Amino acid sequence: MGSAVDPRSPFDSPRPPASPPAPPSSLPRTPSRIAESSSTPAVRQPSFRGEAGTLFGIHIVNVLFTLGTLGLYYFWAKTRTRRFLFSQTEFAGDRFAYHGTGRELLIGTVKALLVFGVPLLALHVIRERIEVPTAVKIAVGLVSSAVGFSFVPVAIVGARRYRLSRTSWRGVRFSFHGRTWPLMKIFIRGTLLSFVTFGFYYPVFLVRRHAFLVSQSYFGTERFDFSGQGRDLMEHFVRAVLLTPFTLGLYWFWWTARKRRYLWEHTRFGEARFRSTVTGGALLRLHALNALILVGTLGLAWPWVKVRNIHFAYRYLSLLGPLDLERIQQQAQFPSATGEALAGFFDSGFDLA
Amino acid sequence: MPTDWPAAYLDGETAIRHRAIVRLMREGLEVTPAGGRTRLWPYAQVRQTQGAYAGEEVRLEHGGQMPEVLVVRDLRFLQSLHELAPEFSRRFHNPARRGRRLQLTAVAAGAVIGLSAMMYLWGIPLLAAQVALRVPVAWEEQLGKGVVDHVASPARRCRDPQLVAAIDTILGRLTAAAPRSPYTLRVYVVDMPIVNAFAAPSGSVVIFRGLLQRTDSPEQLAGVLAHELQHVLQRHSTRAIVQHASSGLLIAALTGDVTGPLAYGLEAARVLGHFRYSREAETEADTEGLKMLLAARVDPAGMIAFFEPPKDTADKHEESAADKYLSSHPSDRDRKATLTALVSRHPTQSVTLLPGENWRELRYACGAPGTSLQESPR
Repeated sequence: MGSAVDPRSPFDSPRPPASPPAPPSSLPRTPSRIAESSSTPAVRQPSFRGEAGTLFGIHIVNVLFTLGTLGLYYFWAKTRTRRFLFSQTEFAGDRFAYHGTGRELLIGTVKALLVFGVPLLALHVIRERIEVPTAVKIAVGLVSSAVGFSFVPVAIVGARRYRLSRTSWRGVRFSFHGRTWPLMKIFIRGTLLSFVTFGFYYPVFLVRRHAFLVSQSYFGTERFDFSGQGRDLMEHFVRAVLLTPFTLGLYWFWWTARKRRYLWEHTRFGEARFRSTVTGGALLRLHALNALILVGTLGLAWPWVKVRNIHFAYRYLSLLGPLDLERIQQQAQFPSATGEALAGFFDSGFDLA
Repeated sequence: MPTDWPAAYLDGETAIRHRAIVRLMREGLEVTPAGGRTRLWPYAQVRQTQGAYAGEEVRLEHGGQMPEVLVVRDLRFLQSLHELAPEFSRRFHNPARRGRRLQLTAVAAGAVIGLSAMMYLWGIPLLAAQVALRVPVAWEEQLGKGVVDHVASPARRCRDPQLVAAIDTILGRLTAAAPRSPYTLRVYVVDMPIVNAFAAPSGSVVIFRGLLQRTDSPEQLAGVLAHELQHVLQRHSTRAIVQHASSGLLIAALTGDVTGPLAYGLEAARVLGHFRYSREAETEADTEGLKMLLAARVDPAGMIAFFEPPKDTADKHEESAADKYLSSHPSDRDRKATLTALVSRHPTQSVTLLPGENWRELRYACGAPGTSLQESPR
C-alpha cells in the first residue's frame, strides 16, 4: 500500500460485536450500511443475470484458442467461463466473484497426473508388459485399484477446497476445512457396506458424504450446517430402485428431486435454512429439452443448456429466515493452513475440472 | 462527464455492504464510504475483475489476498475513467470497444462453426479412411475373429455341402473380378431366422438363414454378398471406430468437457453423427458392390430387386426427413434409385449364376425346410 491514506482504516463507527445476533426487527445500525438482513423479507433466492449469447461468445473464443494452442488454453478457458458464471449470479443484491486462475488449474492437473497418473501407469506396465509371477501381478492389481479408489475422495476434497477458496460474495471468501482422510474413511466404509447390504446402505453413504462436504464449508467465519440422516431417504431410495425399471428409468428423476429437496432442506447457514421445491416432473422436462437442444445442434448449443440449468437450479432454491451478515468476518487464515506435507500438497489447488 | 459515482464498498473483512461515493481523480480513485474515511486507490494498484461482459457490474479490487472491493453499476463510469486517465487504459475494460469485440467474437464463431462443419463433413471421413488403410491386418483379424466366434460359432454354422459349394462359386466369381485384397475372404451361413447379413473386420461375411431364404435367385444373394464384401474391402468397421473416436473429440472440443446429464445429450448427438457416417458407408458398399457385380458379369437386377420393399409396406408412408436423419441405413427407396441409375450408366452382358441348380431347394438347405419367410420382418 503506497498511498498516504490507510486503505484499511476502520470506520468511524466501531465494528459490531460478533454476538449476539441482531434482533429481527432492528433497522440497519448505521446509515452507511445498505439495508439488508433483518429488515428485508426473510426469503432470498439467487438469480442469474447472464445471457446465454454472452456465454456463447466467451465459449466460442475459448474453443478457438483451445484449438489454436492444442488444448493448453483449456485451463484459462475454464477459468474465464467460471468467472463469467459466478459474476452473473446474484444473491441478496450482490454478485459472486471467482478468483481462480488458469495457471492454478494447470498446476492442479499436473499435480494430479504426477501423483495418480504416473504411479497408475507404472503399475499398469508392471502388470501387463513385464514378466512377473502371478502373485506379484495380483498384488500390483490390488495396489493400483487402491490408488484408483483413493483418487475419488482426494479429488473431491481438493476440488472443493480449491473452488470454495476462490469464490467470494461481498468480498468475503468461502472455504472448505474438511480433510481428505475422513472422506476416505466415509468412502471405504460406504463402499464396503453398500456392497454387503446389496446397495441398501447407499442412501446413508450418500448423506454422510454430503454432510461431510457441507458441514466443513464456510462463508467467512460462519459454517454451513447439515442435519440430515441417511435413514430418512431409505424408503424413497428403495421405492426408486423398485420403480425405476418399470417406468423406463423415468422414476429416477423423482428420486433425484426428492433427494435434492431433502439435502437442501437439512442445510442451514446460521439462523437461515435452505429450501428446495424442485419436482421430478420439472427435472424430467428440463433434461428432455436439454437433450433435444444438444442433439439437434451436435453440442454447439451447450451455453444455452448451461444457462437453462442455472436458471432451473435457482428457480427452485431459496434461503429462509434471518441472515445475520454483520456477524460474518473474513476468515483470518487464507487459504487455510494445512498440516502434513502430503495433505498440504493435495489441499493446495488440486483441481481437475 | 461526472466525476462522482455511486458505488457499493466492501471492506474485505466483513460481509457488510456500504454505500460509497467514488470520485475519479487524475492519479487514482477517491473512495468515500458513507460514514467512513476517504481513501485513495492509485490506478496502478487497482484491478478490474468484472464488468467486461454485458450485464456485469464493474468490480474493482484494491489490496492483496483479501482486497477491498468497489462495485459500480453504471458502465459509463468506465468511459469517464478512460477519458480522465488514458495512460492507465490497459488496466481497465473500455466499453467503447465492445462493438469491435462483438465483431471479432462473431468472426470467431463463424470460424469455429465453419471449421467444425468441415471437420465433420470431410475431415473426419478422410482421416478415418487414411487411418483405416494403415491399421495392420493382424489387428483387424484379431478383432474380427472375436466377433465371428461369438455370432457365428461353429455349432451354429450351416455345412450343407451343396450350399457351401454354391456360395463358394459365387464368392469366387465376385472376388476374381476384384483387385487383390489383404484379407482371406470367408462366408459363413448361420442357422438363425434373422433376415440380415454383416461383415466382420478382416474378411468374414456372416449371412443368417433368414436372409438366405428371402433371396429369390443366386443373383440376389450375390448382390448381398457384394455389398458385404465391400464393407470388408473398404475397411468400414475400422473407419467407424476412428470416426467414433474423432467425432467424440470434436464434440469435446466444441463443448468443453461436460459431465452429468449433459453428457447423455452429447452422446446422443454423437450417435446421430455416427448414423450419418454409417449411411455413407452403406451407400458406398451399395455402389461399390454393384460395380463388383458388373465386373463379375452378374445380373444386377437381382441386387436391385432385393431392396424392393415388401409389397404391403411399399406405399404406406413417405419417409420423413427425421426418419432419414435417425437411421443408420439409407432407405430402400433411395438405395434402389441409386443402384438403378448406376446400372443404366454401365450396361453389361451378364451370365447366369449357378446354372442347373435349383435355388428354391438350395436356399432351404440350411435349417428346417418350409420355415416361414415372414418370421422376422426386415
